[in-house]
Amino acid sequence: MVSVKSVRLGIIGLGYVGQIHLRHGLRLANAEIAAVADISAKALNKAKKAGVKTVFKSYEDLLRNPSIDAVVVALPTHLHLQCATQAAEAKKDIFLEKPIARNVQEASEIVSAARKNSIRLMIGYPLRFNEEFRSLKRKIYDGSLGDVEIAQAAFISSGPFFHRAEGYAPVPVPEWWFNKQLTGGGALIDLGSHVINLLQWYFGEITSIKSCLGYRFNLDFEDSAICVAKFKSGTRAVMNVGWFLQGYQLKVEMHGTVGQATREHKPGSPFKTAVQMLTRGYSDFHKPHFDELQYFADCLTNDTNPSPSGEEGLRDLKAISMAYENEMFPKPERERIE
Amino acid sequence: MSFVKLESQNQLREAILNSLDLIYFNFPRTLENVVIKPNMCYYWDYSTGQTTDPRFVGALIDAIRSKTSPDVKISIVESDASAMRCKYVFRMLGYEQLAKNHNVRLVNLSEDFLETVQVKAGKQSFKLPVAKTILQADLKINMPKIKYTMDPIKLTCALKNIFGCIPFPRKSRYHPRLGEAIVAANKAMRFDLCVVDGNIVSGIQPRRLGFMMSSRDPVAIDAAAAKIAGLNPRSIKYLQLAQQEGLGTTHYVEKGLPLNCFGKRYPRKNLQKKFMGTAYKVVLRLKLGQKLGLE
Repeated sequence: MVSVKSVRLGIIGLGYVGQIHLRHGLRLANAEIAAVADISAKALNKAKKAGVKTVFKSYEDLLRNPSIDAVVVALPTHLHLQCATQAAEAKKDIFLEKPIARNVQEASEIVSAARKNSIRLMIGYPLRFNEEFRSLKRKIYDGSLGDVEIAQAAFISSGPFFHRAEGYAPVPVPEWWFNKQLTGGGALIDLGSHVINLLQWYFGEITSIKSCLGYRFNLDFEDSAICVAKFKSGTRAVMNVGWFLQGYQLKVEMHGTVGQATREHKPGSPFKTAVQMLTRGYSDFHKPHFDELQYFADCLTNDTNPSPSGEEGLRDLKAISMAYENEMFPKPERERIE
Repeated sequence: MSFVKLESQNQLREAILNSLDLIYFNFPRTLENVVIKPNMCYYWDYSTGQTTDPRFVGALIDAIRSKTSPDVKISIVESDASAMRCKYVFRMLGYEQLAKNHNVRLVNLSEDFLETVQVKAGKQSFKLPVAKTILQADLKINMPKIKYTMDPIKLTCALKNIFGCIPFPRKSRYHPRLGEAIVAANKAMRFDLCVVDGNIVSGIQPRRLGFMMSSRDPVAIDAAAAKIAGLNPRSIKYLQLAQQEGLGTTHYVEKGLPLNCFGKRYPRKNLQKKFMGTAYKVVLRLKLGQKLGLE
């Protein structure tokens, strides 16, 4: 599919994550951002100013462009199926943001479309490119933890909402985030997909999972979840995710028969972040995002199949779907106000 | 002005009634329409100290009905803001549940009928749209929070909360003359009573101070809030302007608990935070926001 050294990428969707990919894509060694597509004229103007020559108001026009080798799809989740299948039919390799889709049915269709059209499909899971969490994988593999009996992962943040930080103005939350039909769920599918993918990479497939969902913000979907899962390897794990924190916490703990290990991913200091942004265009915090895009471009250049693949994305969504089905306390306690 | 300790969530109504007794406030007997304006800010709930606790509002509703009639119509009002929509914030912060439990109306002022009012504040003249729900109310109650904020206004409490009643979502249009706009909004919509939820306050971080205060005078409330937050009320320009414009006085008589018992525990701004706030403004002014990934 891609025979030249420089990969020509198109970015579809310039929302929060799309902007990050654009910033990183402009700095890739063996790829260029040949075009972007978004419905917002403001976002397209920003992309032009950043150095993108071709911009489209519709992603269909971008997909029709024969000079584009692959696309980064950073659209709201409900648009993944339509966009990814069209991209596959246009024979473009796809980097698709997580979660792969709203539900297992849609995810299966995306994976089938990729297989049918023989294109590469990678799912955006930056934790897989985080050096801290990669070192845990090595520890499991080299036996220095023994058999991991218990694992614990927490990913708590403000989710789509802006957290309070003095001096910063809050940003509007796009409407689609409030609609379960468009997102497929809340914190579990949003943050849980990261954690579930990471732990399935460590321990193999989840064989059973139960969830306890929280509804602090009285929305139609959960804003927090505790999941208890058992993996093929025999490891059991507790996964906590939530959108309620005015801050950011991402931590994985492992307790094995020989040793234990804890790894965290933390935002850097504002000063350090500012210096990194000005000098190399991305911060340590977003380095895993940069590395995953670089890896995707490398896979296209070297003609190898990327991982996390579409199949892994589908597997994650199956586990999430199982967690939703096996809710331990199905009736949410919404009567908080007396 | 009264200062009352909030002992527990179960005694909020008693605390409110006690606080109102201390300032000799009696609800009018012929009360029909009451408007309550809590402070809602983005989608941050009461635990952050940024927004009025709906349980506190619920306790005030109970207090009003116990002193007047169970049939008095009560509306809780808020308007859309550039990053906040009432349809979501009412739900997320627990006000939809409160409205259901207490049989009160939730009103998005941005969707209400409006009347334009011409007001002057200092040398500035404003044509402000005022919602009919506010104009038609017999009693208007302001339920603000005490919060530090960025310069130039430094503090937000009673007067600033009424600025939130301006129905335009993009209130940033007033930011170049924010102090005057705050005073103008208060002149256009004179609220009768302030009941401050001081259970959790917002400074460098949230802190449970566990008190409430009441007054008819929003300027006095803001002056007291400034003292609690460790600021000199004289350094807050809009407060001086509000006093000049006859909205109240910064001099007040303390009743109930002494004011200084709260101030010592207020989580004050530190130098690092101040530096970050200034640095952020400089970054935006130098148009580096996009390069730094802040826009």
